[in-house]
Amino acid sequence: MNADKRGLIISAFVCVGLRPNKFCAQVLVVNKSFWLFIAGLGLLLAVLATLWNESHQPWREWIARYNSQNDVTPVQIEIRTLVPTQTGKPELCVTCHVGIEDISASHPAETFGCIVCHGGEPLALDPNRAHATMRGGRNPSVLDVATQSCGQPNCHGGYADPEQNHVDRVLKSVQATYAGGIAHVRFSFGAQKSPTALFGNRAVSDATQVLPDKALRALEMFPTNPVSGTVDAKMVACLNGGCHLWTTPAKPQMYSYRSAGCAACHYVYADDGLYRGKDATIAKSNPGHGVTHQLTTAIPFLQCNHCHNRGNYDLRTMQFDLRDDLPPLARPISEQMPPEGRRLIEYYQPIGDFTKCEIELNCVDCHTAQEAMGDGHIYGSKKEAQYIQCQTCHGTRTSKPQVATIKDANELALRQARINGHSDFLKVGDQVMATARGELLWSIKQIAPNKFVQMDKVSGKMYNVPLVQGSKCTQNGQDQTSDYCHECHKIVR
Amino acid sequence: MSLWRKEKSIIYALHPEKIPASGARLTYTFGLGGIAVLASLITLLTGVALTFYYVPTPSDAHNSILLIQDVVSFGALMRGLHYWGAQWMVVAVTLHLARVVFTGGYRPPREFNWLIGVALLVITLVWDFTGYVLRWDDGAYWAFLVGTNLLREIPAFGETIYRAIVGDVQIGANALLRFYGWHIFGLTVAGVFGVVYHLWRLRKDGGISRPLLDENETREFISRDELFFREFILSALISAALVFLTLIFPAPIGVVANLDAGVTDVRAPWIFLWVQNLLRVIPPLWAGIIAPMFVLALIIALPFLDRRGPGRAIWFARERWKPQVILAVIALVLIVLSVVEAVR
Repeated sequence: MNADKRGLIISAFVCVGLRPNKFCAQVLVVNKSFWLFIAGLGLLLAVLATLWNESHQPWREWIARYNSQNDVTPVQIEIRTLVPTQTGKPELCVTCHVGIEDISASHPAETFGCIVCHGGEPLALDPNRAHATMRGGRNPSVLDVATQSCGQPNCHGGYADPEQNHVDRVLKSVQATYAGGIAHVRFSFGAQKSPTALFGNRAVSDATQVLPDKALRALEMFPTNPVSGTVDAKMVACLNGGCHLWTTPAKPQMYSYRSAGCAACHYVYADDGLYRGKDATIAKSNPGHGVTHQLTTAIPFLQCNHCHNRGNYDLRTMQFDLRDDLPPLARPISEQMPPEGRRLIEYYQPIGDFTKCEIELNCVDCHTAQEAMGDGHIYGSKKEAQYIQCQTCHGTRTSKPQVATIKDANELALRQARINGHSDFLKVGDQVMATARGELLWSIKQIAPNKFVQMDKVSGKMYNVPLVQGSKCTQNGQDQTSDYCHECHKIVR
Repeated sequence: MSLWRKEKSIIYALHPEKIPASGARLTYTFGLGGIAVLASLITLLTGVALTFYYVPTPSDAHNSILLIQDVVSFGALMRGLHYWGAQWMVVAVTLHLARVVFTGGYRPPREFNWLIGVALLVITLVWDFTGYVLRWDDGAYWAFLVGTNLLREIPAFGETIYRAIVGDVQIGANALLRFYGWHIFGLTVAGVFGVVYHLWRLRKDGGISRPLLDENETREFISRDELFFREFILSALISAALVFLTLIFPAPIGVVANLDAGVTDVRAPWIFLWVQNLLRVIPPLWAGIIAPMFVLALIIALPFLDRRGPGRAIWFARERWKPQVILAVIALVLIVLSVVEAVR
């Protein structure tokens, strides 16, 4: 480029920058080099911007972030396709979510993929587009959509045997309806004449011809827009605040982080609510995520305690008062303290009495699937739904615990043992304990006449189950609630 | 031996030897016709690229677009240029039409070319609508349903026309395939032929319209090289601008149409928002068929409503107030209706 041309280009730029005048207009019109330069520059910038854009797509960044984690083997930055055998349709989710944990051993990603539970756009890589149609947002098990995800036909719903339709049962259980809480608060404030439950979180009804003892025919839906000032209006905050399975805590904090719906129990959260898995898209410093992207039936007691034992209702203020005796976050309990001791301090309210098995076993070791998730009927309160008692396993002075035999390979108890990863614990022909309703307790097996062992569902640890018969116990056979047993068997704090 | 001989190049041959400087002035035409041609060329080329991946079946249409958008290398760029090229084409064609009315460019001997131009406008709009349908997302699907159902409102022939266009008793795989066929082939042939005819006729009619000369005035010309240079610069700048537009605002795509979920979001493409608005207030036959036909008839008639006389090739000449006022009123009504619908 010669000096003249350069001068012209510079003067053209000066002209563009300054107030245009006639001279400048002339310069611009005749200055072909200037225009060629501008047009060339525009095209060059467009090409560079395109290349930059192509090499900075979100999915590339996420894989790079995955690779930058300390404890992973770096993977190639490329689009990953998963073709689950169940659907046969390709999914690209694992491109960004590389390293995410299989949701459970019984739901391997190779078989189910992501979409069958989560919904979403299988072929989109743009995060907004991919997630736009997700079922239930982050959590496909929220009860609004659980019948389409967890409870879809041939998964955990749609069977002839109601025992297998877990989602239907949960929707009617007190953990979801919250019927007892609603009824007792309304009764206490005179909003209803008897403590019998009238309302649930959602309207539910039971079409069974003959209802079992204590079960209700139906619950109406709690009014969505109660008259202000009434007790119903005050209760709305509680119903939206995370007192039941339909919601998560409105103000989650240490110890109370949890999910909603099925995941509220089956998707384990740490006390601090932090994710500890490999998926780089889940923020590790942002509380409110499960420990890993995994479901379990071996639900540890601390998961139950994210809701239970967190505090008390104050009927006067209509508030839920969090316990103030928990160890402050800044001064956690010493790591040296034995687990049972920690558990007593961290999880059990000082007012309660507990036996050794209550602080050593996990909640799910006694509170069975039918009790926690409901038996398919509607009950007015937790008290009416619970039926497992001390005598279920220990018997009374006059009676032994009920025992049932595993008849065939399709027995529910056997399947439950398998799902829990303990298929070697039980086999056809074994005798296990059974509840008063005939529900088999797969984890409590008779190994010799009147000799039972129980496997802790979470830790796998084995315990002997002592029977009342033949012991020094003098309790009469009628008075068998836990209060009576605690009189002698509570541990001293 | 030289492969490049300027006087034998096709671009050289397509340009007239010289054109009057007045007609080439940017503030006279704003290059709108040229921009429309450029936009249609970009849309055409990128459209060819999209056919390599797009699958015109109800089950795969939306998925294939997601694939193009997120997975295929430079797919989002191709689709973005296709989308924005098409939008620019609509805008440029419309503004070009307005320019011709406000400068009186349709004056004899150019009335026939006006008619070709209006036909090209219609082709552009249908092209745009058929392309919108191919997205097969939630908004497009329901707009497709509403748009095609309007055909049934036509007295006597409605059902027949509907069957001919949709290819079935209701929209589905046949309709999608037909719209795809029209979009990539039928309308392309018509459009390309129309543009060629329009340009050829422009040359035959004596080039871009210009005022009559005063007695002692001499006409100034610009050369073929100069014209091409201007076209080239403008094309380069617009192409670059389109690329940036695409990178900053990717072509939209909604969630897949869920026929079981019922109508969730009916949204006409922006060019037909005014029709969607009318549909809320007046019967479908009037809003969806008669009103658009009336507007189209008015536009076709504009050159013939003009009192013959001076005012050719002059912006806003008072002598030609009638067509200008009519077009301004049409534009105002359509814009107001569209804006009201858009913010609803």
